[in-house]
Amino acid sequence: MLETISQIWDRYGYVYLQGTWGTVYIALLTVLFGSVLGMLLSVLKMSRFKVLQAVSGFYIWIIRGTPVLLQLYFFYFFLPQYLPFELSEEQCIIMALVVNASAYVAEIIRSGIQAVEIGQTEAAKSLGMSGFHTMTRIILPQAIKNILPALGNEFIVMIKEASLASVFFITEITSAFKTVQSATFITIPALAISGALYLILTTVSSFLMKLAERRLKAND
Amino acid sequence: MINYEREMIRVQGLKKSFGKLPVLCGIDQVIYEGEVVSIIGPSGSGKSTFLRCLNLLEKPEEGQVFFEGAEITNKKLKKKELDQYRQKIGMVFQHFHVFPHLKVIENITLAPILEKKMEKAKAEAMAEDLLKRVGLLDKRDEYPTKLSGGQKQRLAIVRALAMEPQVILFDEPTSALDPEMVKEVLDVIGELTQSGMTIVIVTHEMGFARKVSDRVLFMDEGLVQEEGTPEEVFGNPKGERCKDFLSKVL
Repeated sequence: MLETISQIWDRYGYVYLQGTWGTVYIALLTVLFGSVLGMLLSVLKMSRFKVLQAVSGFYIWIIRGTPVLLQLYFFYFFLPQYLPFELSEEQCIIMALVVNASAYVAEIIRSGIQAVEIGQTEAAKSLGMSGFHTMTRIILPQAIKNILPALGNEFIVMIKEASLASVFFITEITSAFKTVQSATFITIPALAISGALYLILTTVSSFLMKLAERRLKAND
Repeated sequence: MINYEREMIRVQGLKKSFGKLPVLCGIDQVIYEGEVVSIIGPSGSGKSTFLRCLNLLEKPEEGQVFFEGAEITNKKLKKKELDQYRQKIGMVFQHFHVFPHLKVIENITLAPILEKKMEKAKAEAMAEDLLKRVGLLDKRDEYPTKLSGGQKQRLAIVRALAMEPQVILFDEPTSALDPEMVKEVLDVIGELTQSGMTIVIVTHEMGFARKVSDRVLFMDEGLVQEEGTPEEVFGNPKGERCKDFLSKVL
């Protein structure tokens, strides 16, 4: 087994490395753009206007209530047909993942903000601070300590969820396995390499997250 | 010290309920400039809610609150105007609510710099003076997590003072403190009562209320049941409720 693995790695290592880069690339883009979109959604959801609340509530309801694979199919077939400009398959899939992540990030941000003690808001108000300053100087700096660790988690989830893109043969770790498997007809060792790569990625990411969290907690 | 010519806060027909539970059932009060008013009474009597209505942390359902003659419960009042009123009415909370992500000095200077456009250097000089007054100057660059409860509350008091308010509201300022820290906080408040500041304080420290107050209000079931000088209320309470309450706490 180990020998087969090492032989596969010698021959197809570059396929796996490309795949690994693909996974990291997809996960990074997804979390980045998903966070931006999620931030917007959470602002809508916490706004005073009922219509905006309803719109973002509806969006989050749909995205969190349907499987991500179904959403990938939807974007894969829908976007190229109805958008006026060309999109690669990879772009369609990444967009679907971004939309999916944004709904979860929106909830992460909202709950992170609401987890800040109400007394902090009251203290800021009692000093006569404006709503804007209360949010930007008092609430958000504290909420970020709740939000960042959860976002890091979301990144690890995305590393694993990006494997769904292999259904569409987008370059990532699980697609790399499929390529190698169909070229060599060797299954388990080829799969084991993919598994090991995922473990390395997730372990390194969670280690980096722990470091970041420790720095955030420096003042607690 | 009390200037009966100038009304600081006037409250008329104040009513408030939480759901079906009535908390304030019609309160009329005038607090004059320089007056020190203590509010005592059993828990659930509406003392804290009354205090929180004075800077609109709670919105009363009926009745009006006036600050220096201007109605702040006016529906047309703009957010910015409300913020400006609140700058003139400081508040100190039972659970301190110091800002944990800011250094001690920043806790004090943040609001004056942001809302009163005070220069940073000036704000810091003022904050250092205030810290010296309450014996916390050596904690200037610490984060509040390093402070004891009593130190946090003293910080919360000078944070309120830094906005140079005309009134300070104290909401049970020593109730969350370990017993050995109560005195250091009461000393600071006691000193403030000597400075001519208008003060409203909700407290369970009867001895303190008796010593520093110009007027004591006894509240129960959402109403001011009895009021008068400390001698009148503590020495010779008239109503049964007040007698009963005082016999339990004194």
